[in-house]
Amino acid sequence: MQTIHRRRAAVLLVAAGSLALAGCGSDNNTASSSSSSASGSTNSSSTSGETSSTDAAACPSGTLNAEGSSAQKNAFEEVVTAYNEKCPDLTINYNPTGSGTGIKQFNAGQVDFAGSDSALKTEEKDGVIEVDAAKKRCESDAWNLPMVIGPIAVAYNLDGVDKLVLDAATLAAIFQGEITTWNDPKIAALNDGVTLPSTPIKPFFRSDDSGTTENFTKYLKAAGGDAWAGEPAKSWTGKGEGKEKSSGVADAVKATAGGITYVELSYAKDNALGMAQIDNGSGAVELTSESIGKFIATATADGEGNDLRLKLDYATKEAGAYPIGLVTYEIVCSVNKDAEKQNQIKSFLSFFASSDAQTLIEEIGYAPLPAEVQSKVAAAVEALS
Amino acid sequence: MTAITNDFPRDHSLAEPRDLDLGGKSGGRALKNSIATFVMWAAFAIAVIPLVWILVTVAVKGGHLILDSTWWTNSQQGVTARREGGGAVHAIQGTLIQGLVTALISVPIGVLTAVYLVEYGRGRFARTVSFMVDILTGVPSIVAGLFIYAVFVNAFGFQRSGIFVCFALTLLMIPVVVRSTEEMLKLVPNELREAAYALGVPKWKTIFSVVLPTAFSGIITGVLLGLARVMGETAPLLILGPYTKAIATDLFGGNMATLPTMINQDRDQAVTLPAYDRIWAAALTLILLILLLNLLGRLASRFSKV
Repeated sequence: MQTIHRRRAAVLLVAAGSLALAGCGSDNNTASSSSSSASGSTNSSSTSGETSSTDAAACPSGTLNAEGSSAQKNAFEEVVTAYNEKCPDLTINYNPTGSGTGIKQFNAGQVDFAGSDSALKTEEKDGVIEVDAAKKRCESDAWNLPMVIGPIAVAYNLDGVDKLVLDAATLAAIFQGEITTWNDPKIAALNDGVTLPSTPIKPFFRSDDSGTTENFTKYLKAAGGDAWAGEPAKSWTGKGEGKEKSSGVADAVKATAGGITYVELSYAKDNALGMAQIDNGSGAVELTSESIGKFIATATADGEGNDLRLKLDYATKEAGAYPIGLVTYEIVCSVNKDAEKQNQIKSFLSFFASSDAQTLIEEIGYAPLPAEVQSKVAAAVEALS
Repeated sequence: MTAITNDFPRDHSLAEPRDLDLGGKSGGRALKNSIATFVMWAAFAIAVIPLVWILVTVAVKGGHLILDSTWWTNSQQGVTARREGGGAVHAIQGTLIQGLVTALISVPIGVLTAVYLVEYGRGRFARTVSFMVDILTGVPSIVAGLFIYAVFVNAFGFQRSGIFVCFALTLLMIPVVVRSTEEMLKLVPNELREAAYALGVPKWKTIFSVVLPTAFSGIITGVLLGLARVMGETAPLLILGPYTKAIATDLFGGNMATLPTMINQDRDQAVTLPAYDRIWAAALTLILLILLLNLLGRLASRFSKV
């Protein structure tokens, strides 16, 4: 019997040991993170006068849970990190499960706010009207607050071609399988003086439902006119080979000579892919923060009051505007039964809408909100109660 | 049939009489032997290749991170996909806590069910229980996760939290514990029970003081192997246990990180980012953790039976 007791003791010891190990971790990673790009943001957020209104008064503690669009995940994380350098007591979790899932979880009361690539839908889908479900959950109106703008790059892999110009009609033809080789006359017509190889074109698309697909097809439809046969949708209706997620299409283009895809700018940058210039009707435009800024400046607010649905003008012909991008929203209750929770949300979102945060995400491949939209968002956040 | 002859030396190579003249060794048999041996080794190699491949890939891509002490002391709080640093302690402890609580719930239920099946169960009811355990063994983990989600989150309106992950994992662990304990109890010699009865010990005391201690090391092995299985589960965690970068110890509210959800969180990142390495390191950590549990299980089974 003694040996048995010894064994039991050993088992208990293992259990206790694992618990003890569990007890001694640290959440403090500031030492390691300040060595990289974080240092810049620390300075800007502590010296800026603009955020002072939210500083001392509102540094709430607690936990915020958000879920939704994967397109804004990197921006969100970066902003959370910067926010926590200012207000370390508020833990903010973001789970990039996709816009649709995020909205469902928000409406089911599982998360405090949702991130989404598109504003809450007003028409019925799968038996649910998102706006009404959100209203029911909040017992007040739910607001769409545009926070992050993500440029979409047309990324390609073509040896020896550093500069490639495409327009909406050509892109539509490529992604519908009507143009199959890179030296097709339609492409050559846009690229004077560029030697195009006869490599077959291999278009890649997102096999999962994606806001990127939706916005890219919105562009093709708006700017390409009849050239794009399908309707804008989260699921792909064109031709090509499907790959899962942004990383999937980016990897595929990187590995395939002649490959082309549409992907968030940061993925194209990180994989060092070639990015096509887009001819919007007034000349070829390279994807830069300046050119995407010009495009976003054409955006108009479309919602009522503080419900800020942003409408992008994909068919813009403004010179120097790069016309493919997406807007991601945070979806919040305008009035929250839980005042403490709402205070936390306000504190975080007002930082998100500040120029500090918007400049920060510009560095990692997103575009900042235009000044006028930004001030509207800030006012809407102020109005949350 | 044709091979039956009256020639004595031939009868060791009945199947192939034509090869007789090659002396004592049969070329055909030797050939078959080498072919069979080759096929066997080839099958073995094919089975081992992916295993070694996975281990080497994971170790090469994630090894350098887990050698860093911060990996074992820090969480990912404040670390974005683009930044180096941070650790996995939040996920490791989440996995351990959830595993432990799962074990605390499922071991008593599983062991007692096995005791019932071996010592008491007779007739239709016992057969039904046994059958149900078999069915439970075959339940896919995502079904267990969705079931708990449907009951506790949808129907009762609770928030997703760690305890529900434990419930779902319990559904997966109970059949493993029942089956392994059952086998161990069956191995206990009947003479031990009879000897106890002969001394006038009641049945419950016999089970408690003779049968269970005899099978103890075997039961522990089964529990540890079952634990190793559920700690690597992912589907219920994705449904019920949202991820957080911070250290969280509250099973009853809020998000809690685990190694599988940590791997899932950043799997969409570009290959060039630091987060990508951390995925491999988290995978390696999970493999090591489960390896450790399996080793403990084997070690426990080495203990001699009482």
